[in-house]
Amino acid sequence: MTLSPRLRKFVLTVHVASSVGWLGAVACSLVLAAIGLVGEDARLVRAAYLAMGAIGGGVLVPLALASLATGLVQGLGTEWGLFRHYWVLIKLMINVFATVVLLLYTQTLGRLAHLAADPKVGLAELRDPSPALHATGALLLLVVATILSVYKPRGVTPHGWRKQREGRRKRRVGRSDLGHAE
Amino acid sequence: MANRSPYPDTDDGHARRSADRPPGTPRWVKAFGIVAVVLVLLLVAMLLTGHGPGRHMDGQAHVTGDAERS
Repeated sequence: MTLSPRLRKFVLTVHVASSVGWLGAVACSLVLAAIGLVGEDARLVRAAYLAMGAIGGGVLVPLALASLATGLVQGLGTEWGLFRHYWVLIKLMINVFATVVLLLYTQTLGRLAHLAADPKVGLAELRDPSPALHATGALLLLVVATILSVYKPRGVTPHGWRKQREGRRKRRVGRSDLGHAE
Repeated sequence: MANRSPYPDTDDGHARRSADRPPGTPRWVKAFGIVAVVLVLLLVAMLLTGHGPGRHMDGQAHVTGDAERS
């Protein structure tokens, strides 16, 4: 399956927008996590956990899934493939890992938001370093994925190398057939 | 001459090779692999020592009747 140039550009645009949007949303989550951890104002701390819960399910998950889906389409629908180049493969692994952890962690964020909404729960019980740790890890992974996307470091996998050879052979055969026809 | 690279996002179509053997693993991939293995080992160690997922939620945060400390 090969995407038409117009469709390829469209999918690439959605992929870049969702991936960079995901990175931005994670950065916002990190700020909220820091407020939740060290904030002095009780209302602000509760609001931070409530906002993290809303951002988790309403922004992070849709953007992560969009990034993963468009990345898969982009890989399968172009010559890049999913397993031909090391940078694509590593980006795919980062994306899958971050999405799975996010989907699992969204439940925790929801529970923290639920607790933050309960006035009987004290701030000391509410404060939790885990959102900040998760957001920091996600931020690092997504920055690495962005760097890989932009720099596209060299290196084909053995599978990619075989595919390239097949492609070259087919092109050569196609050209010689054309020569005989003329 | 027009660029006939099958890789439309680069100028050079960088993965052209003429050797009969697959190319070796690049150094940057090896470095990535080492970092990934170290991180996975750290994660496994954290899981084994009880610092894994769910640790914070096991007790559902103790619901106290105390006034908020702010």
